[in-house]
Amino acid sequence: MAVRTTLTWNEEKSLQKLLGNVSLILLYKSTVHGNRISNMYNRCIRQGSTVTMIYCPKNSFGIFMLGHYPEISEGFRKLNSSIYFSFQKNKTMEMTAAFLNSTLKISNDQLEFQFPISPVQYLSLDLHKRTIVIPKLLVEKLGLNPDLGFRFLECEVFRVEGIKDAAGYINRITRATQHRNSLLADLRAYRPYADLVSEIRILLLGPVGSGKSSFFNSVKSIFHGHLTHQAIVGSDVTSITEQYRIYSVKDGKDGKSLPFMLCDSMGLDEKEGVGLCVADIPHILKGCVPDRYQFSPHKPITPKHPAFITSPSLKDRIHCVAYVFDINSIDNLSSKMVAKFKQVQKEVLNCGVAHVALFTKVNNCYEVLQDNFLKMNKSMISQSQIQNANKMLGIPLSNILVVENYASEREMDPLKDILILSALKQMFRAADDFLEDLPLE
Amino acid sequence: MAMTTCLTWMQEKKLQNHFGEKQFSLLYKASVHEFSSESLLQRCSKQGPIITVIHSEDHILGAYVPKSYPEDCFIILFAFQETTISHCKIGPFQLSMLFYESDRNSEFNINLEKKEVAISINTMDKLGLPQCYISFQECEVFRCEDLLDKRRMDGLTELRESLLTAIRTYEPYGGRVCQVRILLLGPIGAGKSSFFNSVKSVFRGHVTNQALVGSKTTGVSEKYRTYFIKDGKDGNTLPFILCDSMGLSEKEEGLHMDDIPCILEGCVPDRYQFNSMKPITPGLGNYTGCPMLKDRIHCVAFVFDANSVGHLSDEMVEKIRRIRRELIKCGVVHVVLLTHVDTLDLITKGDLIDIYRCVPVKLKLEAVHRELGFALSDIFVVSNYTSEWELEPVMDVLNLSALRQMLWAADDFLEDLPLEETSRCF
Repeated sequence: MAVRTTLTWNEEKSLQKLLGNVSLILLYKSTVHGNRISNMYNRCIRQGSTVTMIYCPKNSFGIFMLGHYPEISEGFRKLNSSIYFSFQKNKTMEMTAAFLNSTLKISNDQLEFQFPISPVQYLSLDLHKRTIVIPKLLVEKLGLNPDLGFRFLECEVFRVEGIKDAAGYINRITRATQHRNSLLADLRAYRPYADLVSEIRILLLGPVGSGKSSFFNSVKSIFHGHLTHQAIVGSDVTSITEQYRIYSVKDGKDGKSLPFMLCDSMGLDEKEGVGLCVADIPHILKGCVPDRYQFSPHKPITPKHPAFITSPSLKDRIHCVAYVFDINSIDNLSSKMVAKFKQVQKEVLNCGVAHVALFTKVNNCYEVLQDNFLKMNKSMISQSQIQNANKMLGIPLSNILVVENYASEREMDPLKDILILSALKQMFRAADDFLEDLPLE
Repeated sequence: MAMTTCLTWMQEKKLQNHFGEKQFSLLYKASVHEFSSESLLQRCSKQGPIITVIHSEDHILGAYVPKSYPEDCFIILFAFQETTISHCKIGPFQLSMLFYESDRNSEFNINLEKKEVAISINTMDKLGLPQCYISFQECEVFRCEDLLDKRRMDGLTELRESLLTAIRTYEPYGGRVCQVRILLLGPIGAGKSSFFNSVKSVFRGHVTNQALVGSKTTGVSEKYRTYFIKDGKDGNTLPFILCDSMGLSEKEEGLHMDDIPCILEGCVPDRYQFNSMKPITPGLGNYTGCPMLKDRIHCVAFVFDANSVGHLSDEMVEKIRRIRRELIKCGVVHVVLLTHVDTLDLITKGDLIDIYRCVPVKLKLEAVHRELGFALSDIFVVSNYTSEWELEPVMDVLNLSALRQMLWAADDFLEDLPLEETSRCF
């Protein structure tokens, strides 16, 4: 008999995705390798993290265990961080999952997962009799059929490969999607301060190639659920973006417009006469520059330009500026670029507009956030780029935002979404501060 | 210690191809699971075909066992040479004979406890190895599965159906047009017409060759063709039109650069005969004087042969960059298709299932990104029907995924249009 998993290819793919783009290597299959605990045990020890799948006639049940199976030296007992999940066959796989600490005990004929609550509850698996007993605790958490003991058809164990940063892994997998969704809901429900405007305008400013247009594409991709390319990106000797663009984002293809607009400008260049003109910035901030205005690096816009908006209202103004930098370039910005940037910052400060710093192209977005996803972790803050930015730009740490744009990948990733959405949320708050700070008239 | 193989991607791939497009699952690794033959056999019994790989300082060698242990079978020994893999057959006997000293096998003996392989002079010659005793540092055993087994083929067929449905029911953004137009642009012989044929074939249900496909030197398409595709032989017209142009050339024989803006705006009619020397001008023949939004190009796909995209001439690179700048100026979204990806070195049909993970493909994408400036996520690989008689789900899935991306890109273009332009005539 061939050693082939009972999962269909599509189920396997969705399971891999649910577990964070990992690979699954089938190690043990009860109908082929024998239904004694020793058969299973011999193949599954010292394989690293595993998923144990139990297939029942109607639904399937799985246990992800971080770290090795317990061994003789540990008395066949070991405390594990585990995720318990279940899904129904032949449906688009949606996993209901519960994260629990449990002690796995291996005895002659059973695998027993003990949950440290009182009174103690057990999940036990008898391979030989093909029965599983699921405790009430899990039945409730996973919303399973209250029929607690049943026979299963097959048991398989997979090694899980490709777990990045094991320490935060369980948290990431079980909570990232949830946190992402709640952020999304927050942003959808956002209303600018005191309803002074219906949409806030966020201006993206930064060097050529720092990822301003990519940030817009990334935001739009999240709200659309797949990668989008509306702003044309790529690389060339000069800035790809030569027009001023005011992008509004819809909530899905036919959805409503969201309460923000991202304003994409031409990139800054250290040389004079190349890239965005610093003299254009005050006009942009005040809302005098129309959508699709073609920038000229040599000549800033003047009130004589036919499309110049002469009396912009509050809704046309920029409510928040995001300084966009490639995080990898911060430590070696040329002195000319720094000087240019100081000029830009002066213009922004003059107008009193709120600002944040947005760092793109962070290499490992898994290491950026604390476990609860609510702030940057200490090691990130202590990085020289962040410290430099803090000093050079005089922006408080809480307004320094770090993202990894969707640039080279083909799949959406909840953790990247969290960074991007959190950045957006901070920008909304900065804009609110600006609106609140406005003189009444 | 982590359960990951010491083989590089290239080494693993060469072995997989050598033994017939396999996928490897690592079951045993001596440094993790003890250098003990008992431990190895315990983990590797009843696993179907397996391959044992021995890593010594200077050599990689091993044995392929085509049947589940403990069955008797011929065992194929192999050793990596500089560019090739040498192999020879021993047996038939059980896998365990390789690990225990026995009269039945004096050809090749792996002593895990001593970390040493003993090879007979005869076998040594056949494998092209320099000595009889090789001490090693690591031993790994993999299960070998067919890349395109029934389980995956079933999954692919299912995936193809869901992609087909998504494309059939696609509606262009905001109902601004009924069908989106996708222009295929690229060097002569890159596979533009073949891509159209491949897409049409999926919807037709069998391989078709409506667009005549030429060769690398001249390129057959000299006429501008706008192809509508029907869903099945008598079905509805699908919501996209593929526009096939004459190939680009660094010499004078290809598509005239000045024709491109006219094509983008929708001034060039179907079946227009291109002239390499003279671009189309208003008043010429059936020049469409007042094209509507529906006549415009909504997405451009640059088509390159994956094999030759790394060796484009400087003139061609410059031409492509110029066109790209023009597109950016006009705000036309564009993607890149790399064709014939299944003929890249080391890549086989089975790899198409997870093609973006393959190292040679990653390198190609990066090269295109670097040299031509396209964003990585805008580059897609496809696999055209060239010599196939029957549809291949794995190729269809790749082509349809790329097509769906183009439809999404066209949506981005339509959404990005200023409102007044959606009804304006150009």
